[in-house]
Amino acid sequence: MTTSGLSFTRPVFAKLSPHPYLLRNLSPSSPDARPARTNGRAPQEARPIHINASSLSHAHGSALVRTGDTTVICGVRGEILPVERIPQYRPLDTRKRNQDGGEGEMGAAVGRGELKDYDLLVPNIELATGSAPQFLPGVPPTPLAQTLSTRVYSLLHATGLVEAADLRIWYDPSKAKKEEGEDTNMEEGEEEEREEGDDERVVAYWVLYIDLLFVSFDGNPFDAAWAAVVAALRDTRLPVARWDPDREMVVCSRTERRKLNLRGLPVACSAVVFMEKEQGEVGTAAGEGRHWILLDPDRLEESLCREMITMVVDCSEGDTRIKNIEKQGGAVLGRELIRGYAGVAEGRWKQVREAMK
Amino acid sequence: MTATTAPEAALGVLPRADGSAKYSHAGYIVTASVNGPIEAQRRDEHPYEAHVDVIVRPAAGVGGTRERHLESILQSSLAQIILVRNFPRSLIQIVLQVEHSPENDYVNTKLVQANLNFAIMPALFQTAVLALLSAGVPMKATATATAVALSHQDGSKRTIVDPSPREVETAQSVHVLAFTSHDELLLAESEGDFTVKEWDDVYETASKVCCQSALQKEGIAMVLDDEDAGGPAMRHFLRSTMESKVAADLHWK
Repeated sequence: MTTSGLSFTRPVFAKLSPHPYLLRNLSPSSPDARPARTNGRAPQEARPIHINASSLSHAHGSALVRTGDTTVICGVRGEILPVERIPQYRPLDTRKRNQDGGEGEMGAAVGRGELKDYDLLVPNIELATGSAPQFLPGVPPTPLAQTLSTRVYSLLHATGLVEAADLRIWYDPSKAKKEEGEDTNMEEGEEEEREEGDDERVVAYWVLYIDLLFVSFDGNPFDAAWAAVVAALRDTRLPVARWDPDREMVVCSRTERRKLNLRGLPVACSAVVFMEKEQGEVGTAAGEGRHWILLDPDRLEESLCREMITMVVDCSEGDTRIKNIEKQGGAVLGRELIRGYAGVAEGRWKQVREAMK
Repeated sequence: MTATTAPEAALGVLPRADGSAKYSHAGYIVTASVNGPIEAQRRDEHPYEAHVDVIVRPAAGVGGTRERHLESILQSSLAQIILVRNFPRSLIQIVLQVEHSPENDYVNTKLVQANLNFAIMPALFQTAVLALLSAGVPMKATATATAVALSHQDGSKRTIVDPSPREVETAQSVHVLAFTSHDELLLAESEGDFTVKEWDDVYETASKVCCQSALQKEGIAMVLDDEDAGGPAMRHFLRSTMESKVAADLHWK
């Protein structure tokens, strides 16, 4: 009678003392029980990822990404930015463009400068009220949301995922005149006209507004957000735009659409480090006690772990290129573990690539 | 090329704060103040440990998303080295004011930039550690940080310690690493395009800068004639700064 009233169900234990609960799951007392996390996964097992592209009808590109209970939807919308509206606009050197066809090592560097200088990529992340209990209604964007959008922004620029060449809208006066069917004597005058600065020029840019909304939030927001951004950009089809000199505006084609050329397929892979002893417990030096690296953490695990690592890798060119490492909040992951983690990230890359197909 | 002079620091520069430090290195000047342990706001209160609050203020304008990100990185790292369990339900506040940052002459300077600034991170981190030491906040270890850039020029690889903004922009990859005084990797932030091997080399360089104490350095200098120091020995710098401060404070004896 004394003890029968004190048996709790698993969810109650998880709520009362989450740290021992996770610890007991990872190191079960009976040897025949399989060590697993509270969500039933093995420590280095990620949740399967599901990607559904083109789910929004009014965006130029969109994707819905679901990993476990984390669901994020991303919409990409292009808006036209005429160059006269850009402060401190520096016209492109057209000769350089013709030389390397826009895409040499130099061309890429120039393009990256444009994307950054004119803010052609505008990511924003919203953590919807109700997606997780900690997000309250009517508050300014939380530090988490701001951090996430900075990380997405930085990574978009650092990986050079979007090429600036895709976002330029050109106007070629000489071609336009030819199309109008000018007389043959125009050809003689063409040389002179070019000297007058009637060169082919960029008249406007596409600005991509990349909006992310977390529909439901169960840990590991960055991986899901980044996968959604990549999937949505792969899905993006911008209408073919041209400059109409008579109306002095950019007109878009109703039927013709063009895909973006994305550079590679970077995939983010996050993990947290779960320590046997809670931080600062008496007699705990750093690195003492056992630890587990938990891949693709859920909300409970994120709340119990301080150290986290995110690695962004791209294996689409054969060998593994690391695009980003972010490790903070602890001293367990040293040189060897991070080197080994690259292999884990490669495995995740393959899974995500399959899901993207 | 901006100033590649040795780092300089002054402790206790602000009279009203519990602890403060001014640090300048690689063109950055940062002032930090530390107050704590003080009473925490109710929403920040933690029943078992102190809440570490980091506020970063940029050299111009108000902080944006980039500063929030820097704050979260610093907060998670500093909370690891401060003995937060000693002060339950209280707050340790660290305010970092960037006073000067080197400019990139090649691009238009925009006031609001969302891009993560790698070069500033070691300066912020170092100032925060110095200010914590000045405030006498109990810590289980000190920490040192450095920035390393890898760039490919004419087919040859070049490793740049404490890169200038221009070098950061043209580099293949940029890395920020912080080590505790027990030679553990506390923070690693990298961006760009690199392989595991290259990261390993960066780790080697950074640990040389961060983890070398004076004694070791002298030994190496004698034996190897110091092939390339790469950067200042940060741990030695931290120690000598504290030593001179203590010597000055105890001068009256």
